Amino acid sequence: MDRNSTGLVFVLPALIVLAMLIAYPVAYTGLLSVTDRQGEFVGLNNFRAVLAARATPQAFWNTIWFVGGSIVFQVLLGTATAILLNQSFVGRGIVRSITLIPWVVPGIVAATTWAWMFHTEFGIINYMLTGPGIMPEPIGWLTNRDTVMPVLIAINVWKLFPFVAIMVLAGLQSIPNDLYEAARVDGANFWQEVYHIMIPQVRSVIVAVTLLLVIWGLNSITIIYAITRGGPANRTLITPIQIFRLAFESTQFNQAAALSVMFFAVALIIVIIYIKALAATPGEAK
Amino acid sequence: MSEASTLKRIGLPIPITILGVVLVVFACLFPFLWMGVSSIKTLPELYTVPPIWWPATPTLGNYYKVLFESNIPRYFVNSVIISVGSTFLALILAIFASYGFARFNFRGKPLLQSFVLIGQLLPTAAIIVPLFITLRVLGLVNTYWGLILVYMIITLPLSVWMLTSYFKAIPVELEEAAIIDGASRLGILFRITLPLSTPGIVAVVVYAFVTTWNEFVFALCFATDSSVKTLPIGLAEFSTEFNTDWGAVMAASVVMTLPIALLFFSMQRLFVGGLTAGATKG
Repeated sequence: MDRNSTGLVFVLPALIVLAMLIAYPVAYTGLLSVTDRQGEFVGLNNFRAVLAARATPQAFWNTIWFVGGSIVFQVLLGTATAILLNQSFVGRGIVRSITLIPWVVPGIVAATTWAWMFHTEFGIINYMLTGPGIMPEPIGWLTNRDTVMPVLIAINVWKLFPFVAIMVLAGLQSIPNDLYEAARVDGANFWQEVYHIMIPQVRSVIVAVTLLLVIWGLNSITIIYAITRGGPANRTLITPIQIFRLAFESTQFNQAAALSVMFFAVALIIVIIYIKALAATPGEAK
Repeated sequence: MSEASTLKRIGLPIPITILGVVLVVFACLFPFLWMGVSSIKTLPELYTVPPIWWPATPTLGNYYKVLFESNIPRYFVNSVIISVGSTFLALILAIFASYGFARFNFRGKPLLQSFVLIGQLLPTAAIIVPLFITLRVLGLVNTYWGLILVYMIITLPLSVWMLTSYFKAIPVELEEAAIIDGASRLGILFRITLPLSTPGIVAVVVYAFVTTWNEFVFALCFATDSSVKTLPIGLAEFSTEFNTDWGAVMAASVVMTLPIALLFFSMQRLFVGGLTAGATKG
């Protein structure tokens, strides 16, 4: 009903802002990655320098481990919580609101509060575990090389499982009632309903949410940076933090750009593989 | 047979439901209780083994320190200016863009729509460096405008996405009637479409405000001067010094969390409705 250009005029301001803030920097990253400080073309030297650094492969595996570990538990706990909050019980509305709190509060607040709770000497968690004798002595959760990553994953899971829960809950609420009735006529019990009705019906929601979690996971600097800054001994150094450090602590902008390009490429490949894998199994669970 | 035909759900066994609810509520609330209790403890009470559950002499000293002897009030003002500014800008841009996407057909629309969403898919760490250089060239490092603009990357894509699906749900017939009556496109947008999409607008405002209020990484990179630093950075400074004053950190955390909690809970119904509607309509 309208001329072609009117719609474009409406859309243009937002597009210009995004192009300026996204398209241009992305292109500029590419340029930075193959030049030196003076802007001279240096081929792949920056890439070589970054790949030669010992921290790079370590950060790569840490990132996979952090993002993967977080997502598995975020999805499992979030879905379980959604099913729980879909039951009818007194005070359900309040409980639903409370569940959202971890997701809404600032990441830095979550990080500092948990850091205080995990404090080796004065932390409440060590006290709760040593008091009843679950653990013989306090653990330095955030300084011990073997516990620090699992602890950070746990904090990250705590922060984001509410988001999964609220999205899956919305999916559960849109399941038509006659599906349940049909199952009940067939004599299904609760767990069969979960497996044969709820999970298949919210599968697409879980899939979409997981993609978001992958992206957010690859972006998550706040919690790790605020608690450990990548330490101890680079045990929690993930690639985004390595990029930040290269750029702003070592002021190696060109190497940071080279690492950004590689990080971006890997992230893109993961997202594409994920979307492809989804397209390959359409409605398999239906 | 009569049992099977009733609408009553089978549901989880009641003990499991109760146990699950108690666990979830405890996990979600306990850190904040501990934060609150720690914020009113004196230093000796904070550093005792075993920790005490409730201070014998509750004190507001930590709050006094945070509110009158630190940079936190300044950072609070900075956070308010930057969050309000970027939320407002994102809302204006998103309203026009969403209306364009929802009501018009033009060449390249699918492509442009996916370009907008790419912003949400981009790893922010990958563009920190060039963004910093761009801002430096524009003279926007350490300015309010720098952060306000940069926050468009985070807030604009999802805002456009949510509002587009909201606008699409409003019957076109209403607008067609107004066009026949001689209303202009802008008149229709502001007099008919916007008033009808108040819940969507509220959802976008809450989302954009909460996101920018909480944002850490961009603020860390682009606001290094205390005249523009935001609260998250202030809190990080507090806690990374060698001797962390945990009482003050917890008090500052409370100060920082309160506005967001108030905003969120007053708008929660609308916000969650808008968010999940956008998600399920995709």
